[in-house]
Amino acid sequence: MNITATINQREREASVKPNQTLLEYLRDDLHLKGTVEGCGVGVCGSCTVLLDGRPVSSCLTLATNVDGRQVVTIEGLGEDGKLDPVQQAFLDYQAFQCGFCTPGMILAAKSLLTENPAPTEAEIRDYLSGNICRCGTYVEVLAAVKSLAK
Amino acid sequence: ARLVRVDASKAARLPGVVVLTRDDLQGMDPYYGPVVRDQPIVALDKVRYVGDVVAVVAAEERDLAEEALDLVEVEYEPLTPVADVLEAMQPGAPIIHETRRTPDVVFVDMRSVHFQADSNVCSTYHVEQGDVEAGFAEADELFEDTYTAPTIQHGHMEPHASTAYWEACGKLVIYTSCQNPSVVRTQLAELFQLPETQVRLIVPYVGGGYGAKTYPKLEPLVAALARKARRPVQWVLTREEVFQTAVRHASVVRIKTGVRRDGTLLARKVEAIYDTGAYADIGPRTAKNGGYASGGPYRIPHQHLTSLCVYTNKPPSGAFRGFGVPQVCWAYESQMDDIARRLGLDPVELRLKNLVREGDIFVTGEPLISVGLADCVKQAAAAIGLASPECRVLSPESEVRTQHSALRTQHSGLSTEHTALRTQDSALSTQHSALVRGKGLACMIKSTMTPSNSAASIRLNADGSVQLLTSSVEIGQGRSTGLAQIVAETLGVAVERVSVALPDTEVTPYDQSTSSSRTIFSMGHAAQQATLQVREQVLRVAAQALEASEQDLEIQDGVVRVKGAPERRLTLAQVFQARFGTAVGSFFGNDDFQTTGGLDPETGKGKASAFWFLSAAGADVEVDTETGKVRVVRTVTCVDAGKAINPRQCGLQNEGSMLTAMGSALFEEMVFDNGQPINSTFLDYMMPSLEDCPESFQSLLVETPHPEGPFGAKGIGEAALGPVAPAIGNAVANALGGIRIKDLPLRPDRVVAALEKEQEK
Repeated sequence: MNITATINQREREASVKPNQTLLEYLRDDLHLKGTVEGCGVGVCGSCTVLLDGRPVSSCLTLATNVDGRQVVTIEGLGEDGKLDPVQQAFLDYQAFQCGFCTPGMILAAKSLLTENPAPTEAEIRDYLSGNICRCGTYVEVLAAVKSLAK
Repeated sequence: ARLVRVDASKAARLPGVVVLTRDDLQGMDPYYGPVVRDQPIVALDKVRYVGDVVAVVAAEERDLAEEALDLVEVEYEPLTPVADVLEAMQPGAPIIHETRRTPDVVFVDMRSVHFQADSNVCSTYHVEQGDVEAGFAEADELFEDTYTAPTIQHGHMEPHASTAYWEACGKLVIYTSCQNPSVVRTQLAELFQLPETQVRLIVPYVGGGYGAKTYPKLEPLVAALARKARRPVQWVLTREEVFQTAVRHASVVRIKTGVRRDGTLLARKVEAIYDTGAYADIGPRTAKNGGYASGGPYRIPHQHLTSLCVYTNKPPSGAFRGFGVPQVCWAYESQMDDIARRLGLDPVELRLKNLVREGDIFVTGEPLISVGLADCVKQAAAAIGLASPECRVLSPESEVRTQHSALRTQHSGLSTEHTALRTQDSALSTQHSALVRGKGLACMIKSTMTPSNSAASIRLNADGSVQLLTSSVEIGQGRSTGLAQIVAETLGVAVERVSVALPDTEVTPYDQSTSSSRTIFSMGHAAQQATLQVREQVLRVAAQALEASEQDLEIQDGVVRVKGAPERRLTLAQVFQARFGTAVGSFFGNDDFQTTGGLDPETGKGKASAFWFLSAAGADVEVDTETGKVRVVRTVTCVDAGKAINPRQCGLQNEGSMLTAMGSALFEEMVFDNGQPINSTFLDYMMPSLEDCPESFQSLLVETPHPEGPFGAKGIGEAALGPVAPAIGNAVANALGGIRIKDLPLRPDRVVAALEKEQEK
C-alpha cells in the first residue's frame, strides 16, 4: 500500500505492507534506528514516537495508519545541531544509563511538557509510567522533567 | 519429551529459506556451557523446557520464515516433566540430564564445586566451621525457617541480539549483545573447533544485561545457521523469547540459627537450593557464591552451609545481578529481624553486635580486608530513621559521601514537597486506619568472581590522545567513563582525550566478564598499570629533552612540566616529536591483572574473593491492610565502594539495584503451570515504573580503600541489590506488628492472607 507521511518534518512517500508496523517502517525502510522495540505489546514505551504530537507505541501502530499524518522520532528533535531542551535536561541530569529506553522516555517527556507545561510530580509519574527503565534512572528522569516544568 | 523425528525437508524446499535442525550438526560436538557442556545448539535427543529450540529457519522476510516453520514436522514422545525444584531433588524424579561433560577450559573457581551424575542435582557446594549441632545445643533460642523466591526476569529493555557471518577464509564474525565476548569466543572456538584467532566477537553498546547476556546465548545457534546459509544471519529475540532464554534462579533457603539470649549468634545451618532450569549455564557458580555467603556478614563460630544447583524443566537460570546472594540475603536478614523481635532486642544493635569486622576470618578461612560494613549499617539506619545515637558514630578510616551536589539537593527539595502532599493524604487515611507504616533494614556480604582475569592495552597517539583497548562491555554502567577517568588521572590528561574502545576480540585483549561488579576493580587495575607504563615512557623521553630527571617531572592536562619551573615544558605531541622527529608512532602499555584465589574442593575453603561487597539498605513502607498492597515510600542504600571513581555513576548503579530488588520484593514473578510459562510478556510480568519509584531514594557511599583497586576502588554494580528486598520485608513485618511473610514477592494476596491468619490465631 502507498502512503504519504511526514516523518521528522520531511514528507515521504512509501510503499508499505498492510501488516507492517510503524516501528518496522521507521527502522527498516527509513533506517531511523533511534526507535527501538522492547516488548512488542505496547507496554514498555521504548518504541514511543509522536504521532500528530501524541505519544504512541510504534510497535502497535500500523505504517498505513500514518498516511497523511506527522511522525516525530528521536532523530527529529533539536534543530541546527542544537539539542532539544528535553534532551539537554536529560544530559544535565544524567537521566539515562544504557540508553535503550531513553529515546522513548524523552519523547514522552516532551509530549507531557507540551500538553502540560507545569506538571506536578504526581502528573509526571503518571504520564511517564508507560516508559519502563530497568537500569533504574527514574529519580534523574523526574529531576530532568521537573527542571523544565514552569 | 524425547525428540523422535524432526523433518525439515518440506520447509527447506521453500525458496529463500535456510533451515537448521539436529541433522545439520553431524560431525561436531554441538554442546556448550560455561561450567557443564549440557546445552546443545539445537535439541538433539530431548527437549527439556518450553523454549528449547528444535528447528530454526532463516529467511529474508519474517512471514516467509514463519511459513517455513509451519512446514517442519516434529514427533515427540512425551516424558514426565519435573518443574518443582524440591520434587526434582527427590530420588526417583525423572532425570533431566543423563550425562555430565565439562568444557575444555574449566574455570579455576569451579573446581571446588561437586558435580553429580544420575541426579537432577547438577552440583553442590559445602563449607563449614566449628560444630553446628554443638552450637545449637548451646543456644538459648533456636530459629528455623524456610524462605523462598520465585523465578524472575532480568528485564533488560534491549532483547538479546546476535548477527553472525563467516568470512570466506573460515573465520566466524559475530556482532552480539554480550557481556563477556572473550569467554564466548573461547566457547565458540571449542564448539566449531577453531583457533580463537578465527572467532571474532564485536560488541556494540548493550541495552542492559544484568547477567542475562553472559556466556553463550544466541551465538552458537546463529553461528551454525550462518555457516549453513553462507550469508549473514541476524537473530533478535522477541520479548517472549527472552523469557525463554535466561532467568534468575528461584530459590528455597532453609535456615536454622542458634543464638544466646543477649543476641550473640552462635550457630547457623543453611541449605540453599537454586533452581537452575533445564540447562546449567553458570548456575553452579551462582549456587556456590550464594552458599558461602549464606551465613551472612556475621561472626558466627559454628556454620554449616550447603548450596545445591538443581535442574528442572524450566528456562535456564543464569547470572543475575546479585548472583545467588539476594536469595540467601532474603532469608538471613528476614530471620535476623525475627530474632531481634523474639529476644526483645533492637534489630540494628543486634546486627552491629554480630557484624564481621576488618581482619576477621570468614567462613571460607580468608581474612576480610576493606570492611566498611558497620558504617554502612549505621548510615543506612540513620538515613531511614532506625538509628540509635551510637549509629551516627563512624569508624575513623571511612569517609561517607551522600549522593551528591546541587542536582540531588534540588531534587530532595522537590521530593519534600511531594512528601508533604503525601503526608496530608496519610493524615486523612489515618482516620481510616487501613494504612500502616513501618521501617526496616538489612545488610549483606557478597563476593566477586575470583580468580579472574582482565587485560588492558593503552596506545598513546602522536597528538596526545589516548586509546584504551578493553573487552569490558558498556552495558549502561558507564565503563567507558569510569575507565577513561582512571586512565586520564593516571596519565595526566583530560578525560576527554581518552577513548575507550568497544570490545572487538580481534583487537581488545582478554576480559573474563563484565559482570560480578568487577570492571572498575579488575579492568581498572589493568588499565591503570598499562597507563603507568606509557607514562614512564613519556617521562623518559621528556626527561632527556628537557634535561631534567624523571622524578622532577609531572604531567598535567597533556603537558609535561618540570616541577617548580613550568616554563620548561613539552606537550605530549612535542614528546613524540622529540622521540620520532615528527607526529608519528605509538607508545604502548599493556597489563594483565589476574586476581588469585580459589577454594579447596574438599573443604570449600581458601580465598573466595579478591574483595568483598558490603552494603546495607533501609526501607520505609506503607501497607494497606485492606488490600494488602505494599507501597515503598522511601529507600536508602549504603555501599562500601572503596573509592567512588564516578560518584554519579555509583548513585545510578545503586538506584538500579534498588529498583530491581524492589520489583522482586513487591510483584515480580514468572508463573509456571507444570513448567508451562504463563506470563511471558510485559503485559503480565510487572516491573517497576516511574509510578512505583519511591518518593525518595538516597544513595550513600562509604569509602574504605582496597589496596589492589585503582585509587582504592572496589565494585558497586550489584552491591546495593541484596539487602533491599529483606529491608522491605522487614519494614512490612514492622508495619504489620511482626507478621512475617517468607515468600517473595510480597503480593497483596499474600499480605492479606498473612493478616487473616494472624487474626484467626
